[in-house]
Amino acid sequence: MKFSLACQALILAAFSLLPGVGQAIYFRDKISWQSPVPASEMVTVVQARAWGGNAIWVDARPDNEFARDHVPGALSLNEDRWGELLPLFLAEWSPEKKIVVYCSSQGCNASREVARRLHNEAQLKNVFVLEGGWEEWLKKK
Amino acid sequence: MKTHIFALTLSVIICITARAGLKWDQTMIELHPTAADKQAIGHFKYQNAGSKPVRFKSVRTSCGCTAAQTQKEEVPEGEKGEITATFNIGERTGTQVKTVTVETDDPANVTTVLTLKAVIPQQLEITPTFVFWGQGEAPKPKTIVVRAAKDFPVKHLKVTSSSPDFQAKVEETGDGQFKIDVQPQETTRSIASTLTIQPEGSPKIFYATARITTAPAAPTAPTPPAGQTH
Amino acid sequence: MTSATSNIKYQTSNIPQFVWRIVDVIIAAVFIYAGAIKALDPVQFAHDIDNYKILPWTVGAGLAFYLPWLEIFCGLALIVRRLYLGGLSILTALISVFLVATIAAKVRGLDITCGCFGHASQHWNFSAHLTLDLLLLGALIILLLRSGRDFRSAWQILNDQET
Repeated sequence: MKFSLACQALILAAFSLLPGVGQAIYFRDKISWQSPVPASEMVTVVQARAWGGNAIWVDARPDNEFARDHVPGALSLNEDRWGELLPLFLAEWSPEKKIVVYCSSQGCNASREVARRLHNEAQLKNVFVLEGGWEEWLKKK
Repeated sequence: MKTHIFALTLSVIICITARAGLKWDQTMIELHPTAADKQAIGHFKYQNAGSKPVRFKSVRTSCGCTAAQTQKEEVPEGEKGEITATFNIGERTGTQVKTVTVETDDPANVTTVLTLKAVIPQQLEITPTFVFWGQGEAPKPKTIVVRAAKDFPVKHLKVTSSSPDFQAKVEETGDGQFKIDVQPQETTRSIASTLTIQPEGSPKIFYATARITTAPAAPTAPTPPAGQTH
Repeated sequence: MTSATSNIKYQTSNIPQFVWRIVDVIIAAVFIYAGAIKALDPVQFAHDIDNYKILPWTVGAGLAFYLPWLEIFCGLALIVRRLYLGGLSILTALISVFLVATIAAKVRGLDITCGCFGHASQHWNFSAHLTLDLLLLGALIILLLRSGRDFRSAWQILNDQET
């Protein structure tokens, strides 16, 4: 059988799709397709709301944005005043609670950074980042 | 034939670069602020090397902690200028990467991403910064490990507890590493303490938190009586 | 391949055929190994691609699952000499794009700790990465040019035989 170079390349490219797609399905719980935070650490507004009183909401945005408006009952914890705000957050936290961290939108990094520090430095479990952030909360209000 | 293709490609490349408006000295700046610095400032210099004025349509930063300022809204041909990116360090740690996205009306360079990388020196690495006991849990000591950075040798660590209900003992384990054993007197009440950690000779103070939570301790597997074999 | 094309191979090159086969196998082994390392941990590879800050996360994550298998199948194509030219072309394109991305990352000052061996090469410095990538590219281009010449000649002969 004669195959042109393009045909050969296309056949190889097509062959490679199968195991690639298979792996993507296998790893679907370990990766989020929207952002670099692992799927197991992301939570949607609907899911987080369903946790009710079991969730403790953390606002990772700067002080002025928190002061303007925030999720009712959320605690402010940002990297500008981490040392001052962390003990206040820890005073409200208890081990059975699920921590939901948000910042302004999906694109902002502050929530991921705060979640990372809560997980790595304070070694807290059940730390989640809110998909879509404050913007998504407002849409689903 | 090959020569024609090469010449055409080269011409296209030259044409594209010749039309380019804003030329940036650097699009990535790495800063090394000191421990005392509150801000890290990057100056992104540019020059309009094109034949038309270039107007800035928007300058957006990746986070609220970074502010970016242009000196002028429009850059005439041949003129130089700079965008100043000011990153408020706050209490951030480690390597921080912040971006400034610049949009112009230059069709050859509509969007440029300027990157500010700040390597924030971390004098002490404290792990974990929070230790807790459930109510009714055995008041056994829990350990906080403190590691001094190689650039900041620490001979001695002073640790004080804000509450007399918690005791903190410091032990040097060598190679710039310390162990802080924190122990509550009792775990029947919901109490907390802020542990102040200060390296000798350093004005900077670090903190950790110890607490008895309101929730009861998680049940542990029963241990068989000593001497009993299965 | 027919005997006519085999004869062409010996006529177009003074270097013995087995030497080219060794080069084929070495390059194939490098890419199969590189692909396998990345296929074992595609999530980490997705993060490594994201570090280059060139592609959006979703595109990078998709590539992280696809590219390792592409490398493996193209490496296999070199070894079994089926779809050989297609495999060579894809590998050449891959290494070229990768080289450009690595240099661009370096120029932008990004702290990239992976090369074509994924996170396994995280302790290599930039020069080591660049050297290996350039060597691979050079070898691939030589194989491509050589095979392309033979392929065109073989194609011509096969076409002439059919008419």
